[in-house]
Amino acid sequence: MDRTVIRAIALASICAVAPMGAAAHQLTVFATTDCEMVTVEAKFSNGNPVMLADVRVLDGNNTLLLTLPINEDGTVAVPLDSVDHSGGLVIEVDTGSHENYWIVTPDDIARSCQS
Amino acid sequence: MKRHFITASLASMIAATPALAHYGMIIPNDPMISQEDGRSVALTMSFSHPFEMDGMMLDTPVAFSVTHEGTTTDLLGDLEGATVMDDQGYTLDYPLDRPGTYIFAMEPQPYWEPAEDAFIIHYTKTYVTAYGDDEGWDTELGLKTEIVPLSKPFGLWEHNVFQGIVKMDGEAVPYAEVEVEFFNDGVGATVPDELMITQTVKADANGVFTYAPPSDGWWGFAALNTADYTLVEETSGEEKAVELGAVVWVHFEEWTGQ
Repeated sequence: MDRTVIRAIALASICAVAPMGAAAHQLTVFATTDCEMVTVEAKFSNGNPVMLADVRVLDGNNTLLLTLPINEDGTVAVPLDSVDHSGGLVIEVDTGSHENYWIVTPDDIARSCQS
Repeated sequence: MKRHFITASLASMIAATPALAHYGMIIPNDPMISQEDGRSVALTMSFSHPFEMDGMMLDTPVAFSVTHEGTTTDLLGDLEGATVMDDQGYTLDYPLDRPGTYIFAMEPQPYWEPAEDAFIIHYTKTYVTAYGDDEGWDTELGLKTEIVPLSKPFGLWEHNVFQGIVKMDGEAVPYAEVEVEFFNDGVGATVPDELMITQTVKADANGVFTYAPPSDGWWGFAALNTADYTLVEETSGEEKAVELGAVVWVHFEEWTGQ
């Protein structure tokens, strides 16, 4: 077989396989609040923390409030007094190839302030 | 060939026969809790013939716990009495504070079954995953006897196989018998022969068994072995054998493809 054809087949195979392999590492996003801070955690399905990602904080109307880089341990803290959280918050984590979100509801915040 | 289909109601008439299987049950409202589902899981505990929807009395368990991220928490005092399948059972609404797999486990009091001239103790567990994180799905609790999942015990499609390894005192049980039964809640499933209410598979030499259910829903797996001890039956004052069951409940999801 012609080498050019072999390289073309190999490249096509890699392109076909690579997105599937990446997709297998599902991204999990979770956030807790203690009434002062929202602590965001992001990890892959294999348990490894997300080391490089943008964390977007949106309000209950889906308006972007903040964008923060994630820390190397897969966490980032968002001071509650730095954002309008009256309608809850949507925390989006975007690695470029994976994206997921967690919703901090007004109830979540209220409960954390009662405990 | 003419087939005689047995309905759940007819099956309940023959429930007292020793051939029909008893099952400890821990059934959550959902085995995969997402953030949209809320922040807790609702559990229902019972002792029953699940295909016939025939409840038996579940006395206050000896132990009821949850294990998450390697920590086991005693929940026995949090159980609330409830009527389940017309008999005594329990419910619990448990908050899920963090992602991951929560394993709920119950050790019931020994149940005296005159028809089998033996006591029955079913160590029962169910795996619930929270918020998209399945870490811990293969956790072994170290129960007296248990089925340790080799397939993830949630997120299975109908017709997928479920595999587990039967253990007693931490050791695999070669060629253990595993009874399999469908929780016929609201389904009205019928069988062409009462032999098919409870199906039986055997583990291999390494204690590994495999089963593929014919439909979605909750399926109970009970690996039954005889204990190396006896208990005294009060009425007769005689020592009686004890059947130890390792029970796990697994939910299979309806295939949503074309």
